[in-house]
Amino acid sequence: MEKDTYIIAEYIKGSIPGETLEMVTFAGELSPKKRPTIVLLGRDIAGPAQGLAEKTGCDIIAVMGENLELYNADTYRRALLDILLPLAPTWVCLPHTAMGYDLAPGLSVGLKAACITGVEAIQGRTFTRSAYAGKFLVDISPTSTSAVLTVLPGSFRPCRDFRGPVGRVTTVERSGSSPRSWTLEIKESPHRDSALKDAEVIVSAGRGIGKKENVDLLKRLATLFPRSAVGASRSVCDLGWLDYRHQIGTTGQTVSPKLYIACGISGAIQHVSGMKGSQTIVAINTDPSASIFRVAHYCVVEDLATFIPLLIEESGDLPPAGHRPPQPGWP
Amino acid sequence: MKILVCVKQVPDSGETLSIDASSGWIDYGRSTVFRMNRYDEFALEEALLIRESLPGTVVHALSVGLDRVGSTIRRALEMGADHGIHIRDGRESYVSPFSVASLIASCARTRGYDLILAGVMAEDDMACQVGQLVAALLDLPCATSVIREDFRPGGSEILVEREIEGGCRQEILLKTPAVLTIQPGINAPRYPSLSHVLRARSQPQEIIESRDLGIPEQQEIAGRLRAPDLTSQGIFLEGSSREKARALVGILHEKALLLQR
Ligand SMILES: Cc1cc2nc3c(=O)[nH]c(=O)nc-3n(C[C@H](O)[C@H](O)[C@H](O)COP(=O)(O)OP(=O)(O)OC[C@H]3O[C@@H](n4cnc5c(N)ncnc54)[C@H](O)[C@@H]3O)c2cc1C
Ligand SMILES: Nc1ncnc2c1ncn2[C@@H]1O[C@H](COP(=O)(O)O)[C@@H](O)[C@H]1O
Repeated sequence: MEKDTYIIAEYIKGSIPGETLEMVTFAGELSPKKRPTIVLLGRDIAGPAQGLAEKTGCDIIAVMGENLELYNADTYRRALLDILLPLAPTWVCLPHTAMGYDLAPGLSVGLKAACITGVEAIQGRTFTRSAYAGKFLVDISPTSTSAVLTVLPGSFRPCRDFRGPVGRVTTVERSGSSPRSWTLEIKESPHRDSALKDAEVIVSAGRGIGKKENVDLLKRLATLFPRSAVGASRSVCDLGWLDYRHQIGTTGQTVSPKLYIACGISGAIQHVSGMKGSQTIVAINTDPSASIFRVAHYCVVEDLATFIPLLIEESGDLPPAGHRPPQPGWP
Repeated sequence: MKILVCVKQVPDSGETLSIDASSGWIDYGRSTVFRMNRYDEFALEEALLIRESLPGTVVHALSVGLDRVGSTIRRALEMGADHGIHIRDGRESYVSPFSVASLIASCARTRGYDLILAGVMAEDDMACQVGQLVAALLDLPCATSVIREDFRPGGSEILVEREIEGGCRQEILLKTPAVLTIQPGINAPRYPSLSHVLRARSQPQEIIESRDLGIPEQQEIAGRLRAPDLTSQGIFLEGSSREKARALVGILHEKALLLQR
């Protein structure tokens, strides 16, 4: 009998990312009695497919073709629908990544399945996800027989190495490509910064700083620490308050300094995934229920505009004059 | 060029939202301020920029929701959209992205849009689905998280860059008509000009009743909203502002993180 849970694996720059292994754990909770089948698409993936079969014990469907080397929504969806439709899967699971959320809704339409995205926890057939920037959780249950699910990275542990029998690898050759969408290349984003990577302390600005001028306040705070740098949430960069080189998160940089001070940052998953590896996290936020407090080690419910000056004062040392923001009215 | 922009109305997140005990959904009390989903401001701005570079382009803004979403459509007109469409749909609780997308798709199907733009995500439901669903329902190619786009001469193809993980971008060539979901940072959304504000006041909005569009039933049900347990392993600093500042300085000193002067 066919297995009923399918995982769509990612294959990026020659390796299977951790998010895909988290899906195996998720699928195990979803249907504990049946191991999921993993679908892997790409060009030369015989090796990785075998590796995945050994590591997870899951059966693998390796879909290989010239046109599958780079991810393309249309090409991948067509290939996946051709494979999945005859199998009539109950669950199709993808990581909630740039590939996963791009692909999942279209797959669900093709499969006439429900689509539930950003799943963080599971209980039976009920899936928990965040809403309103993580302020609330909501439980969603599909009423259809099948569903496409995307799982928020970091919500489940990557599966451990499987000790039982190695999974079976089935290879499918596939030549078709989309007649209307072509992925040309993957390139580096323009704005990257190494200053953040080397910093031991990062003082990071969120929308809660309220105005561009308050960036100076954070810069002053940063001068209290050796090897410090100023980071930012995406919103702050989108507002033009700081350059994108400062952005931390899934579409920015991943950092793990000794100390991370989040100022006026709500704690959206896309931000947190880029800084949760920091050794000590301090969060300053006016909202006691802000989700940043779920990852912070020291939580300060205060208005940063008044609190940061106090903090600088209490540190017993005024920052060097050169770092003081220019006072209005000065020549 | 004919462009449709999907704009969603969301409660202003600065608001301290609470859950209504009886409905189990957000209590949109009288004090709740609603505004346009920020992601959609970028989508609308991008449409307006395309119109500036390709004369003859028209921009329609569409929103699905209760009567109150009319104010968000007006905001779109104030920013410069040529025409506003309100698909009136009367539910205040959970609305499936699939139902919203089905409504948008059935409205757009016969109108010959060359480009349909949406935000990458709605700030309230955070689904990241509606644009992709509209594309699938209309059988159009789609790119999400678009941070740059350029029409090829002739306008039948569009070159886009989408932001992906690890500081990378994926470059895709799409045939139009196509659906794009727009990533913030692609542009700087404008403030409405006074002349547009005045015009939008009297500009009629096209109203379509959702029941007239015949939507399929949604395929999932939502339970009550709840607050996540704030089981932070973290310590909430107590006392006056100054006491908290002092405590924090003490902690940072102890960890030898502050500069020794
Ligand atoms: C595909 C995609 C990719 C993304 N990539 C990233 C990414 O790489 N990095 C990233 O950061 N985001 C990313 N985002 C955006 C992310 O979802 C959030 O929207 C963003 O992180 C929110 O930024 P914020 O916390 O600064 O602002 P908000 O969410 O608006 O939070 C502001 C916070 O400031 C607090 N505040 C307000 N006033 C004060 C005050 N006076 N003092 C103290 N606190 C105050 C508020 O209580 C609130 O918690 C991405 C989103 C998508 C859809
Ligand atoms: N009710 C709605 N009316 C108009 N557009 C919507 C609506 N809901 C979602 N959208 C569009 O779809 C995008 C993604 O929303 P979502 O899939 O809910 O995260 C939003 O940024 C909007 O552009």
